[in-house]
Amino acid sequence: MAEETWKDYKEKKHLKPKPLKGIRVLEVCTLLFGPSGPAFAAQMGAEVIKCEIPPLGDVTRSLNPFGWFMNEQGPMFLHINPNKYWLALDLHRPEGQEVFYELAAKSDIIEDNLRPGVMEGWNVGYRQIIERANPSIIYISKNGFGQWGEYAEEDRPSNDGAAQAFSGYSWMSRFPEAPPLKNRIWLCDYYGGLMGEVAILAALHYRERTGKGQYIEVSQSENIMRAMSWVWPYQQITGKGAMPAGNRDVSICPADTFRCADDTFVAIAAPAPEEFKGLCTAMGKPELDEDPRFKDHLTRLKEENATEILKIVADWARTKTPDEIEALAEKHGFAASHVYNAKDTVEDEHFRERGFMTEIDDPLYGKYLDHEFPVMMSKSPPKSKWSVRPVGFDNEYVMKRVLGKTQAEIDHLNEVGALGKWKDMQGRRPPPDWDGKAGLIMARE
Amino acid sequence: MAERERPKWADWADWVRERDDPKIARTKPEALDDITVLDLSYKSFAGCYCSSLLAEFGAEVLRIEPPQGDFIRTCTPYGMLYKGEGLNYLTEGRNKFHITLNLEKSEAREVLKGLVSQADVLIETYRPGVMDEWGIGYEQLKEVNPRLIFASITAYGQFGPTSKSKMPDYDNVAQARSGVQYDTGEPLPEGKSYDECPWAVPTKAGPWICWAEPGTFMAAGILAALHWSGITGEGQALDVATAEAYTRFDDYAALWYQGTGHINERFSSLDTALWIYCFTPTKDGGVFIGGLRLEMWQAFVDMLGKWDEWGAAEWKALAPFMKEEEQRKWSALVFAETRKYTNEELVRMAVEYAKKGRLAPITPVVAPICSPEEAMKDANWLDRGMFTPVVDPVYGELIVAQAQHKMTETPIRTKWVCRPVGYDNEHVYLNYMGFGPSKLKDLKEQGII
Repeated sequence: MAEETWKDYKEKKHLKPKPLKGIRVLEVCTLLFGPSGPAFAAQMGAEVIKCEIPPLGDVTRSLNPFGWFMNEQGPMFLHINPNKYWLALDLHRPEGQEVFYELAAKSDIIEDNLRPGVMEGWNVGYRQIIERANPSIIYISKNGFGQWGEYAEEDRPSNDGAAQAFSGYSWMSRFPEAPPLKNRIWLCDYYGGLMGEVAILAALHYRERTGKGQYIEVSQSENIMRAMSWVWPYQQITGKGAMPAGNRDVSICPADTFRCADDTFVAIAAPAPEEFKGLCTAMGKPELDEDPRFKDHLTRLKEENATEILKIVADWARTKTPDEIEALAEKHGFAASHVYNAKDTVEDEHFRERGFMTEIDDPLYGKYLDHEFPVMMSKSPPKSKWSVRPVGFDNEYVMKRVLGKTQAEIDHLNEVGALGKWKDMQGRRPPPDWDGKAGLIMARE
Repeated sequence: MAERERPKWADWADWVRERDDPKIARTKPEALDDITVLDLSYKSFAGCYCSSLLAEFGAEVLRIEPPQGDFIRTCTPYGMLYKGEGLNYLTEGRNKFHITLNLEKSEAREVLKGLVSQADVLIETYRPGVMDEWGIGYEQLKEVNPRLIFASITAYGQFGPTSKSKMPDYDNVAQARSGVQYDTGEPLPEGKSYDECPWAVPTKAGPWICWAEPGTFMAAGILAALHWSGITGEGQALDVATAEAYTRFDDYAALWYQGTGHINERFSSLDTALWIYCFTPTKDGGVFIGGLRLEMWQAFVDMLGKWDEWGAAEWKALAPFMKEEEQRKWSALVFAETRKYTNEELVRMAVEYAKKGRLAPITPVVAPICSPEEAMKDANWLDRGMFTPVVDPVYGELIVAQAQHKMTETPIRTKWVCRPVGYDNEHVYLNYMGFGPSKLKDLKEQGII
């Protein structure tokens, strides 16, 4: 049955409509927190016009791991900006602001991730947009501390690392004997961006019912705190601080990451009765399932019992390889996985077969695999199609196709500096092997 | 706080707060109060979290559990219960109606079809194939309700070579599978073994991020599917695999591997792609310091009084500092300096630098690394409504994180935190199915409800 629903999903997804077709988003965002949300919308088929300040644009174009660029472009910039249209619009200038109003009038959503007051300073804040351009706009601002309150009003800057620190998330994500650990990914940027999209889509639903838009503010610290579940009531009820526990899950037992015979690592979880029984059988110790210390989940979770059972599993795992443990988990119905590295995620057959690791065949950046929007939709699949573009690459397309401007009007906007193009530097200009045409939608000659 | 200095844009702050302060949320309309969601999730916090996000926006969520309750209720830290309830479940039962239905019985599945015909969304987390075997998979339920959005969250998804796996879905295993745990953590110190340093290993996040985050992706997918169904009148099936969903956040590692064959490794609390961007120890704990541009690194050095000694005026580019060995060298120097100050001193120094420093208003980001205990007492978050206790008729006054979306027109809100198993059977079955007390008694006796 499920086979029928998902038959040839990957092969046929380009034959099906996009869920957010017809929704237009104006993005005035840089780094990760801002652009991630519009990227998710763009993967679902929204038309996202990314407005950058010429000629440098988004600073993420400069970021790179240990000096590595993909064809002169920052890999994190590529990863977080699929499917967008690239407009270089100088919002400092009145003529640029006028263009923004014209676009806002024809848009559904505006997203910014600047500090409070900056968009108002450019005359394109929420109050100015609803008065001058579009009273039913859905307008979201994403930043560290929101638009009001002590930290916001101190004008404190923020970023992912600050949110990992402020929220208690990093403090909780480490071994008790080691210092707090910053997660390697820019988690709070992405998570805040994703939560912003949930709010926007709920607001869109409301607008479709009532015609009313609204203003939304999202703080990256607040959003990651929302995802921290038990720690808050635990602290209130016990009057004690929640404590980190390394790779052990203190709410699920047994659940931990274990070192195997070959010094690589495997994660195992087997809390439910049939799963725990399966693990005991796999370990060749079926009698543990009858042991009063481990008789049910709540008993097993108690500190002294959890310590015991985790030690037993750890000693057993040290004698096996991750492959052997995964095979036993499959056979006995508990959960296990070796710890995936970058190679594993790229080469995973399952990720590829599902079209999650999806091939981008880009006119400027060539062929590579990247992550699809991870909600597969049987009738209106999300799909990643193209990569990023140089600063101002799609100016002509946006001006002509969306605003119906003549070439003379576009020339004027260029002359007064409202529109701009890339600076001749890494990440801003086209890649070195560009033929002067590939990827351009209009004005190829 | 009353006498604090107001910014130039205080008028904007006041205008927004007047409209989106969580204190007045209850006076405003709700975005999703026309939507009915059936949440059948079992052994999965991802499903519960997903339906919570919709319930916060006002959707009517009917949480459907087997008569003995969802196993996830027993997944609670150290086995601790509060008024009979696990602490994780307490945080994600919010605004939902809790009913029981024994889907192992065919009569119960007929009842489910009655509910499905009145619902917009169904969320389920059983292993692929289980719902089909019960005759309540997507293909069967779309006959009952063609507009139904049928949302499945599982370990490996509904299709693809591993989808037939018998393995259940748990957060720690999904974190391991996502590519993020592998290169998060302390590297093994040179010459040491894992036995000596059991903390220097691939390290997962403490919170259930591989349940919360896939649940959030699914909430976004459901809302997009609702938009599409509003246009076309058609429902559809949605499929999230938890490890995949978290892998979407794995920024550049996959591209780096494809480009060069390089496998990203653990790099402590430094950042492979940014400088200065790390945790640093202090007299009384540690802070995060961050700056993505050369000027912010220079400002930080200046703030520490090392402008001349370290030759910051001569620096022309950030790139040389970002190399692995340079990061190690400079971070050691920085750590030695920051140890001379407290967290509070460093935070204040950065705020003051923005006003009076040589490179002002450029300043490094300095944020204290807070414990959750400190975070929960932070006046800023309290003022913004994050930890306002919910007064619940069953569980009393309870603190759960809430109000993370501030919205002027349809703010989210938490009306109650949770309910015991089957608490709402009477009202929900009467309202949706017309089952009065005597019918309900019969169904209970037959083990259907």
